[in-house]
Amino acid sequence: MGPGIITSNVDNDAGGITTYSVAGASLGYKCLWIFLPMVVALVVIQEMCTRMGAVTGKGLADLIRERFGVKITFYAMLGLLLGNLGNIMSEFAGVAASMELFGVSKYLSLPLAALFTWWLVLRWSYKVVERVFLAACLIYFCYLFSGYLAHPQWGVVARELVVPHFSLDSSYLVIMVGLIGTTIAPWMQFYIQSAVVEKGITVKDYTYTKYDVILGSIMVNLVAVFIVISCAATLHVHGLKVDSAKEAALALTPLAGKWAFVLFAVGLLNASLFSACILPLSTAYFLCEAFGIEAGIDKSWREAPAFYWLYTILIVVGAGVILIPKISLIAVMFWSQVINGVMLPFVLIFMLMLINNRDLMGNHVNSRAQNLISWVTVASIISLTLLMVWTSLFPS
Amino acid sequence: MRPGNSYKTMRGLGKFHVLGEYFFSQIMGKPLYDSEGRRLGQLRDLAILWEGEIPKVTGIKYVKGVQAHISISHIDAIKRDRIILKVKFADCALIPLQPHEIYMGKWLLDKQIIDLKGSKVVRVNDIKLIWIEAAGKNLLVPAAVDIGVRGLARRLGVEFLFKRRENHLVWWQFIQPLEEKTASLKLTGERSQLDRLHPADLADLIEDLDYKTRAEFIEDLDVETAAEAFAEMELDTQVEILEQLDSRQASNILEEMPPDEAADLLGELSEERSDELLNLMEPEEAQEVRELMDYEEGTAGALMTTEYIALSPDLTVNEAISQLRQLAAEAETIYYLYILDENRRLSGVVSLRELLMATPVTKLQDLMSTRLIMVRPHDDVEEVADLLNKYAILAIPVVRDKDQKMLGIITVDDVLEILIPDRSSFETFSNFFVSKRAVQ
Repeated sequence: MGPGIITSNVDNDAGGITTYSVAGASLGYKCLWIFLPMVVALVVIQEMCTRMGAVTGKGLADLIRERFGVKITFYAMLGLLLGNLGNIMSEFAGVAASMELFGVSKYLSLPLAALFTWWLVLRWSYKVVERVFLAACLIYFCYLFSGYLAHPQWGVVARELVVPHFSLDSSYLVIMVGLIGTTIAPWMQFYIQSAVVEKGITVKDYTYTKYDVILGSIMVNLVAVFIVISCAATLHVHGLKVDSAKEAALALTPLAGKWAFVLFAVGLLNASLFSACILPLSTAYFLCEAFGIEAGIDKSWREAPAFYWLYTILIVVGAGVILIPKISLIAVMFWSQVINGVMLPFVLIFMLMLINNRDLMGNHVNSRAQNLISWVTVASIISLTLLMVWTSLFPS
Repeated sequence: MRPGNSYKTMRGLGKFHVLGEYFFSQIMGKPLYDSEGRRLGQLRDLAILWEGEIPKVTGIKYVKGVQAHISISHIDAIKRDRIILKVKFADCALIPLQPHEIYMGKWLLDKQIIDLKGSKVVRVNDIKLIWIEAAGKNLLVPAAVDIGVRGLARRLGVEFLFKRRENHLVWWQFIQPLEEKTASLKLTGERSQLDRLHPADLADLIEDLDYKTRAEFIEDLDVETAAEAFAEMELDTQVEILEQLDSRQASNILEEMPPDEAADLLGELSEERSDELLNLMEPEEAQEVRELMDYEEGTAGALMTTEYIALSPDLTVNEAISQLRQLAAEAETIYYLYILDENRRLSGVVSLRELLMATPVTKLQDLMSTRLIMVRPHDDVEEVADLLNKYAILAIPVVRDKDQKMLGIITVDDVLEILIPDRSSFETFSNFFVSKRAVQ
């Protein structure tokens, strides 16, 4: 399996499931149109990262540091740190929400989950962990069956997939930004580029990776579309909103009946734990990478103290915030994705400046079409975000 | 920025007198005034020339986008808030960037270099310059790079938070830049510096580099040094590097490696790639490696090396010792000397201890032990291990079935490597998605 497919599966995390569910339940089929342009944008953007990794042999954080210097890197990394802390919180919220479906209090499940992820990554072979989690990610394909069994109006689905809707309603705009943010998350771009570098993929054997990226992007969006359809057909038609994991789980009822809760909870738990393992570690890594601080779990705690402390603090804070009594788990999972969406254009601008630099990329700079799609994506997200802020401040 | 007044000496500079010490981040952006107080621009970058041992700043880039510099010889003083020239701007000779010159900030700042003292790949956070007077001339000389946290904080404008931390400096003679080396930079004797590193350290360095830099870096090493370092790496890393290197470099390294290791390594590559590399190797070496590759994995043949000590039975102990002196460098182990007849059939074995204890004129055939413990090329590794264990020997000869011809030996460490399960599974995590490189 290549970096594209793996990254896509990591992307279907607690925040992703929640955002798609919220979108399907509150907007119904009306948000489906965004997925087609999103697949195109995702393919173009991820392909850029893999190309940069293959051509330069360097990670994105590395390149930002070498090209833009310390100051800009500092702010970029601060943004990434805060954004990812939000994502980590959302993963632990996912753990708490899924365990609550089994009747386990978050005051028990969270400390255990934090300890588990912390220990697992440091003490166990990562390859095994990766395989187990990726296999369990197949649970999401249940949404394909559930969506089918929910008997949606296929005619409407087909029409809504291609006919754009637009609304200046602030809740609509927030959901749109969230959908983009969770599907094309900023951290994914750092992640996929590092994966390419670390797998030793070079320009020579890059063609295969391109298909891997396309396949991965289609997979993640296919699952997302069916989550929206499932939720639209089961929740939206009855006017139900997703206020907790209970409602989100209902979307699997057509497939699993009363076992829907179990299926949903297991899926969410798996996704959350998987990403909760990866995010703190990769965040700590990218930060250390950018600032030239010793890092890596092949180093000892004494050799790379900053790396290990950062890793530990991210887990402790991420899980700790969710322990606050009465915090809305769904809100944490959803809003962290909106923040991803707001931050995305900045990462994209860095990427575009790097990839169009001939000193760095030689003949592998972007084509005109690639640049056009990327800049349109940047412009759209920025305008969506501005509209979102504007309509939230002035609801009339 | 304390002016010194004592004379110091330094190789390549002779006697000199320090006028001031600065970090690049402190003079970067300083406004530039001419003798009449006219503001010309600000310090954007420094052009340096690195010839011989000491690099020297030659010019100041003072306007964005203009490739012409104000010569360093025009500088009168570097003050807290400005840099002042001795002359009017109109009298300044502006010099364009010369072929061997390089912009210091662009070239080094934020980039990776090798710290030869710590033998690590590190990132340059800041550069320390000294402003000196030597032989009646004022010179600005880059003296060290700062790779510490304090340097990072200084760049961010928050050095005061780290006042109590020492600057982590690497002096210029201990750095090895990795990017855009011009022809003149290659002449700085860096090669000998790298060759002096321990192969295991060099191996770590090479693993830490990205694949492009790695190819350039290996090009700079001599083949023997590169192969020694290569032998220190894990198999996975070796395979990855061989896949990425250009074929010529890769085959050169393989030639220098012991044939059994080269065979193992080539066995891990795609057939296409391994054929390509074998064809580029010296025919003789390639033939040896090909034969070794023909044995199935997990058999004695696949494990053995062909580099052992073979001696004729007619030699005396004295002659044997002098031959041993010449052969020892190439052999995997010298503890056993194998006695072969004219048809290369194994007829006996002498241990180093027996050789040293014997009288100098004894013939080897009288000394050798003929109760031979040996294996066939198709024997299983487990059997080899059992025999090594049972007879408590350090190496075992591999002999062909039909004619008793000696093919090679298997040393105990080769067997251990197979039998002891891989404990490096921790590292596979970082292999997966985070670069071990980049960071240090």
